[in-house]
Amino acid sequence: MNGIQLLLLFGISALGLYYVIRLRKTVLDLVLLILLLATSVTFVLWPELTNKIAHSLGVGRGADLLYYVCILLFSFALLKLYARIRRLEQAFTNMIREDALKNAKHQGRDQ
Amino acid sequence: MKIITHLQSQELYIIIPVFDHDEHLKEIIQTLTGKGYKNIIVVNDGSEKDIFKQISEFNIHYLHHRQNLGQGAALQTGFDYAAGLDAEFVVTFDADGQHDPNDLPVVLAPVVAGRADVSLGSRFLSSQPTNIPFSKKLLLQTARFFNFLFTGLMLTDAHNGLRALNRKALNKIRITENRMAHATEILVEAKKHHLLIEEVPVTIHYTDYSIKHGQSSWNSLRIFIDLVFYKLFS
Repeated sequence: MNGIQLLLLFGISALGLYYVIRLRKTVLDLVLLILLLATSVTFVLWPELTNKIAHSLGVGRGADLLYYVCILLFSFALLKLYARIRRLEQAFTNMIREDALKNAKHQGRDQ
Repeated sequence: MKIITHLQSQELYIIIPVFDHDEHLKEIIQTLTGKGYKNIIVVNDGSEKDIFKQISEFNIHYLHHRQNLGQGAALQTGFDYAAGLDAEFVVTFDADGQHDPNDLPVVLAPVVAGRADVSLGSRFLSSQPTNIPFSKKLLLQTARFFNFLFTGLMLTDAHNGLRALNRKALNKIRITENRMAHATEILVEAKKHHLLIEEVPVTIHYTDYSIKHGQSSWNSLRIFIDLVFYKLFS
């Protein structure tokens, strides 16, 4: 095992641990996380596997395949995050609006 | 003008969203009240200045967002408030002094006559000469095209804040785009709910002040991005 493999394995383990402890704990999330971690560890320990899969998909190198998959995953994560931000913004807007409507003033010289 | 006179006292609410740039607000309210418009709703969208202090002498409805949300959010707050007061018609009016209070009867005419549910002011239908800057004209023509892409409606103007809605439109249209993309969202909503739209000629007064505080090219890009995400997530 070389240095980069050790570094990646440490990173993957730390991420997995952090996710389990701090973020989500539902069974489905855990299963998905274990699958993702297992795949990552497999590719780190046997990098040739990525080359084989890449070739079967018409991609020159395993690293390129991972790069493309990462772009897709990050785009998906970005969209999910943006959707969540919009929901939060809407909830925040509703709160501010309710407060404004509740405290509306109607006064002046004519009344 | 009998109908408009009646509206001035009863069922018409004029919504003015304001955020910090309030130099023209007092003058606008003075003119509108002078013309007999009784129901003015000012929505302070989280200004740091004490807006109410400046206009408390007027008989207005005043709402205050504790945080700045954007013009779209301020308009929807005004819509909700007006709907709660059983408004028959609402007019949206910008606070930067661009709009002419004399245009109100023109904007109201289609909705009062029942020809339209939403009446939109258009600076490009006006026979009055305007000092519209070339860059602004180019920006608005591009915005018209994008409005067409997003709504299927080819209008003569885009992002004109002077518009009138009847009760049906007021109850159907729901603005969720807090910032400036709301102008397109109103069209999307109007189309979705099969509301009748009519454009009317209005005059826009371009001053150094209004140009300074108007839409910049950068803002237009933000509006475009907001619209793309609106289409993706709505």
